[in-house]
Amino acid sequence: MRRIRVMGPRPELERALRVLQDLGSVHLASPPRMPALNPSPATRREQRLVRQLRTLVADAEMACALLSVPAATHLAPIPEPLPWSAWARQARRLRRSAEETRDRRQRLEEERALLAKYREMLDAFSALFEAGHIPASVRAYHIILRPGQSAVVEPLRQALTEALDSAFELRTRTLSSGETALLLLVPLERTARVERLLAESGVQEVPLPAGYERGTAAEALPRMRLRLEALPPLIDEVESERKARAATATSLLPPMLSAAQDALSRLEAGGLAASTRSAFVIEGWVPVPDLAALRAAVRERIGPAITVEELPPGTNPDAPVVLQNPRLFRPFQLLVEMMPLPTYGSIDPTPFVAVFFPVFFGLMLGDVGYGLVLLGMGILLHHRSRPETPLRAVGQIAVICSVFTILFGILFGELFGDLGRRLFGLHPLVLDREEPKDIVSFLVLCVGIGGVHVLLGLVLGVLNALHGHRKQALGRGLSAVMILLIVVALLASVRLLPGQLLTPAVIILLIAFPVLVVVEGIVAPVELLATLGNILSYARIMALGTASVMLAVVANRLAGAMGSVVVGAIFALLFHLVNFALGLFSPTVHALRLHYVEFFGRFYSPGGVRYRPFTHWRTH
Amino acid sequence: MQIFWITLSAALAIAIPALATAWAQSRIGPAAAASLAEKPELSTTVIVMLAIPETMSILGFVVAMFIMLRAGG
Repeated sequence: MRRIRVMGPRPELERALRVLQDLGSVHLASPPRMPALNPSPATRREQRLVRQLRTLVADAEMACALLSVPAATHLAPIPEPLPWSAWARQARRLRRSAEETRDRRQRLEEERALLAKYREMLDAFSALFEAGHIPASVRAYHIILRPGQSAVVEPLRQALTEALDSAFELRTRTLSSGETALLLLVPLERTARVERLLAESGVQEVPLPAGYERGTAAEALPRMRLRLEALPPLIDEVESERKARAATATSLLPPMLSAAQDALSRLEAGGLAASTRSAFVIEGWVPVPDLAALRAAVRERIGPAITVEELPPGTNPDAPVVLQNPRLFRPFQLLVEMMPLPTYGSIDPTPFVAVFFPVFFGLMLGDVGYGLVLLGMGILLHHRSRPETPLRAVGQIAVICSVFTILFGILFGELFGDLGRRLFGLHPLVLDREEPKDIVSFLVLCVGIGGVHVLLGLVLGVLNALHGHRKQALGRGLSAVMILLIVVALLASVRLLPGQLLTPAVIILLIAFPVLVVVEGIVAPVELLATLGNILSYARIMALGTASVMLAVVANRLAGAMGSVVVGAIFALLFHLVNFALGLFSPTVHALRLHYVEFFGRFYSPGGVRYRPFTHWRTH
Repeated sequence: MQIFWITLSAALAIAIPALATAWAQSRIGPAAAASLAEKPELSTTVIVMLAIPETMSILGFVVAMFIMLRAGG
């Protein structure tokens, strides 16, 4: 990144910002602090324009959403001056009409749902209504009970029998929704008592829908049927209206929205400029390869009135950060970007994550069968996702991790636990994770890998600190050497290394220790112990790996213990499914933790500012 | 009788850290949920925070396994 300063006559600020926006490579920085340079506050006209543009954007976005109009990404430039006021009115009109269409459709849909429910209830008793069996001296109550409420019917019938003797008719039907429809017919003079009973039973009469209250259910039913038949064409009509509006809006809204967003960001960028009475200054960061193009564009489109000055490289505390890695490593940037970005100029850990993360994952899951399933899922995710999206990166990471899972599965001789051994005669090539003696070797391997990983972190810490903090670099280097010596001394004491190495290693350790305390302070011994603890933490790879294989073995054995082959197979499948889900989640979380806590803790310096170039508005 | 004590030791070696992990995660969980409600971008940090106390269980598991292995499986 290079810090640049763009300067020119004040009236040219707007044009300069347009050039920078078109190039889309400059990350604008805060106004420079220099004598005679003042921040450029927005004028009243600009403030009014900002308010107008924000309203326009809100209206256009809402109209786009309601009319299902996609906001285009690439649009031809529109000649200036842009008719903001007319556009704002147009966007407001479009939003209102879209909202009105949406509300109308909602009302029709709700009416249809309500009438359908009533019709079903009335249909259930239609024979009674249509045959004219209900005399004028009888009051009909329509009740709908929720699915769990049907138990109140019998107590209600008993209460009615006690109160009215046999002077009532209660009919029930179960509706398609699971609800129970009740029709209660009682003499008009007994309605007060009946309504009290209904209230005591906790059931309420469903009044007929608006517009149908006058008259009886028998009269309402044919009208409801007619209305229900008329509703779908009406809904279709509203939908056609929406489509027609959307067709008109497609040519209006996206350019409007895009131009308004661009103008807004230019106005906001103008606030970052500083100015004198006659000149403006704007500063920012540009990637080195884009610097020549910036100079050329400014010269060509504005002329010599604007100068682009490259500022001397300093410590660059506020330089923005962009992670750039080879294609193979790029998906793993997602895992690094989940943490705060590293500061500018410090080490980007993506390549190390790309190497170690799949290894840890493979060591933990290590099964050909699970690896193949994961590979399938990764390929599916890759094909279903769009390029440059987090989902695509997840798919790519899954594919890479699955390759390592299969590889370690072959080395451990595992295919859905011990199923591969039983069915295909698969044998472990390196370690048998079911064998007690090999479990210890697996633990040593994992802690050994942990030692390498943490030492690598310390070395990277030394390299990071060399740029500025020499003393810190010395301390970290010394810590790395001491960790190495402790490992050598331990291995020599258990005769895994020649015993002659023990005494020199201990002597050097005793000399290095006070030096470390002098360099790093009194916390150095604690840090050293924490580092040793971090190395031991890699034992989790063995623990999770062993747990995973044991669960798979248990699944296979339980399947064999079942009486029926089919039940056994289903049981094993379910158990393997659970184990696979655990096998995806736990290794991912723990491999991430090993990186974020144990590895990054040794060298990573978070706090970088994300590179956000000043560019045109885009939708994704 | 010896097998009983070995098995009990191994069980305690995993059970006590597991209880400690559960207690720690029960404290982290609500705090994490509250943080996520305000700052959803902290999800990674929260997952890592939740995974930190699991170290106790994992090391307990390793110790339990060693007890069992030393006793002859």
